[in-house]
Amino acid sequence: MTDLAQAFTMNETSPVAAEVDVRRALRPMPKLKLSTHGLEFHYGRARALHDVQLDVAEKRVTALIGPSGCGKSTLLRVFNRIYALYPGQVARGEVLLDGMDILTPDYPLALLRSKVGMVFQKPVPFPMTIFENVAYGIRHHERLSKADMAVRVESALRQSALWDEVKDKLRESALGLSGGQQQRLCIARAVALRPEVLLLDEPTSALDPISTSRIEQLIDELKRDFTIVIVTHNMQQAARVSDYTAFMYLGDLVEQDTTETIFSNPSRRQTEDYITGRFG
Amino acid sequence: MNAWHIGVRGAKNAVAQALATLATAFGLFWLGWILWTTLHNGLASINFALFTQMTPPPGETGGLLNAFVGSALMSGLGVLIGAPIGVLAGTYLAEYGRGAWFGEVIRFVNDILLSAPSIVLGLFVYTLVVARVGHFSALAGSLSLALIVLPVVVRTTDEMLRLVPTQMREAALSLGVPQWKVTTQVLYRASLPGIVTGILLALARISGETAPLLFTALNNQYWTTDLSAPMANVPVVIFQYAMSPYDNWHSLAWAGAFFLTLFVLLVGLAARAIVSRHRMTHD
Amino acid sequence: MSVITLPVPTRVAGDAADRGFRWLATGAALLVLVALAAAAGSMLWGGRAAFGKFGFGFLVSRTWDPVAHEFGALIPIYGTLVTALIAILIAVPVSFGIAMFLTEVAPKWMRGAIGAAVELLAAIPSIIYGMWGLFVLVPALAEHVYPWVDAHMGSWPLVGVLFSGPPLGLGMLTAGLVLAIMIIPFIASVMREVFLTVPGRLKESAYALGSTRWEVVWDVVLPYTRSAVVGGIFLGLGRALGETMAVTFVLGNSHDLTASLLMPGNSIAATIANEFTEADSPMYRSSLIALGFVLFLVTFVVLAAARLMLRRLSRQEGNR
Repeated sequence: MTDLAQAFTMNETSPVAAEVDVRRALRPMPKLKLSTHGLEFHYGRARALHDVQLDVAEKRVTALIGPSGCGKSTLLRVFNRIYALYPGQVARGEVLLDGMDILTPDYPLALLRSKVGMVFQKPVPFPMTIFENVAYGIRHHERLSKADMAVRVESALRQSALWDEVKDKLRESALGLSGGQQQRLCIARAVALRPEVLLLDEPTSALDPISTSRIEQLIDELKRDFTIVIVTHNMQQAARVSDYTAFMYLGDLVEQDTTETIFSNPSRRQTEDYITGRFG
Repeated sequence: MNAWHIGVRGAKNAVAQALATLATAFGLFWLGWILWTTLHNGLASINFALFTQMTPPPGETGGLLNAFVGSALMSGLGVLIGAPIGVLAGTYLAEYGRGAWFGEVIRFVNDILLSAPSIVLGLFVYTLVVARVGHFSALAGSLSLALIVLPVVVRTTDEMLRLVPTQMREAALSLGVPQWKVTTQVLYRASLPGIVTGILLALARISGETAPLLFTALNNQYWTTDLSAPMANVPVVIFQYAMSPYDNWHSLAWAGAFFLTLFVLLVGLAARAIVSRHRMTHD
Repeated sequence: MSVITLPVPTRVAGDAADRGFRWLATGAALLVLVALAAAAGSMLWGGRAAFGKFGFGFLVSRTWDPVAHEFGALIPIYGTLVTALIAILIAVPVSFGIAMFLTEVAPKWMRGAIGAAVELLAAIPSIIYGMWGLFVLVPALAEHVYPWVDAHMGSWPLVGVLFSGPPLGLGMLTAGLVLAIMIIPFIASVMREVFLTVPGRLKESAYALGSTRWEVVWDVVLPYTRSAVVGGIFLGLGRALGETMAVTFVLGNSHDLTASLLMPGNSIAATIANEFTEADSPMYRSSLIALGFVLFLVTFVVLAAARLMLRRLSRQEGNR
């Protein structure tokens, strides 16, 4: 474990040396699913991310924490290029998914989004039946028979711990579900595509405590099958659910390490100040 | 602050509130009078012949069948032409034109078109179609009505689509679904009640429009469904008959006015019902 | 740090559909622009004979002689402006009163119903206003009101000439009144919507200081919404200028210029509506279309100004 801790700690030495350290130490480590190199992000003329080097381990939960405006959501949204919807928002650098750069225009968006799914802060079920909500995305990528589709939908709903509650009302509108159920539906919608990575953007901040803890339990189960990156402004949540944590501040990735280390023995002063609540 | 001063302020307030109440009563008074007149005179002129006979020459009895059918045909066609273009243009404004200067120009032009005098639009279609072809036609009439439907639908579609939360757009896109499918399969569905309401309001509006039809479809004493010929319609019939000196024509005009008002109010009620029902299922 | 390049085609089928849809939507939006431009252009074109023959004199000439093919727009323009002015003078204070009633005075349970009733007034087609005006209002005014006006106000110094004349019932004052009733619901609902945008905190702090309802409206709400209120008034004005049917029935279609408001007159829209189908010469028709162009120009300016003022408030709110 110490090797891992060392591997992820960014020290004060020169960037090149740090990179070399990281490379050497990574070999016995859990495989890297996602990694960014020199990532910059601009909203028009304002720069939101500066030279970010993030590593995301496969089939683990990585949390991005930091005060408002630190760029954690911006960083998350680079991974499925959802920012492409907005003219004036530009990402530069390299983002490798299984070794392939997803920022190049050659990498098709549809393919990327079938591999990287996203769940948003506010539950947004589509104005369709519960069944249709889950099936909608699948239909666009695969041609399944009715029976196969039903199986897929059921398995997605089971994976998001919603099946028992909705199995009798699949043909009802999704808008009739409670907030927590709607969010689990959104999770089912995302996992139905069988992605490799799940991006969760403050998934429980709009929910009550009971729904929140259900979804946190869910995340623990989901990481068996998916690589998860979660953005949260709630430090305790990060401590509860994640294996690795990255602390960001004003567009910089300050420190990334195992969650244990970040919360008990961070290397950087800024991280410690944030963790202990000296600034929010 | 002495007592007299407070007294004056209190008096001013009382007077202002009384005047405001009076103003409202004033407005409602006219509403009541107009509706009562239409109801009273209209009901007096109702008989079955209205729906079975054509518009008669002066001095004879008849009905308004050709006018009702003509209005229904031309209004329907007007909506059929104007609404799809309006929905697409509104989609452009909401999805592709946000913030861009071109979008702002279109919105400005649309607002002008929305409140432009309908007589102007009638003259436009006259010079474009009727003057060229050489005769009045129901098609020209439908076209002028479509020009009135267009800006109404553009505006409601634009506003309704912009009400859909951005996150729904992003959620659909993040599933890998292409932009155009997201718009047509998810966004339209989410804003459908609002868009339908807009179309209904446009329908209510064009049903009562007289001026544009005066220069395009004019009128026809006889039954016809030929779109290339002038066609009878309720507003122009009312206009001609009311301005004439003949009593039987006057009573037909009132009957027409009654049904026209009834139709417009019912469509307006339907539009409101859709909006309130949709609001209930969402909160 | 090797990057494996992906051997995939750069265009996917969905891409073409995306571009196609976008083109469709853009085309529809362009059509809106084209429609307005073409409307303006076609009327300028249709009126070119009249503009060519009469020049700027068209706007100030009182002649209206179909036989001699001599036309002038002064009387219709005058009638349009006068009736619209009367309408605004009546409608603005009434609309303001209604808006104030609906937002501050009326008990909450009443507001929805009364608001709906006011909207109902707006939904009634203008031809109904015209018919009611002709058959009900005109005789009522001719019998009960105008004789009194002529007798009592006709002898006032200076303004008396406005109110003297035979009690025909038809005329510019009647038309102004009918127009006023038509535009009251428009202006009232814009004002009401605009009043409702005032932040509750602002009003609450005024009430907390002991302000009366009237003072809150006059000193807080109105200044906050000032430009939008004016915008709403301009919107109503635009409507009044272009209204055809409500005015045609009750204005009297006369081509004489008189100072008295009790006398019949003419408006641009009424002239066109009444005479277009009987225009028997190209110059006649061209003059009517030229009139239409003048109307279009005037309403365009008024509506553009209205929009500018309404947008100013919404920008203040931080919209868009």
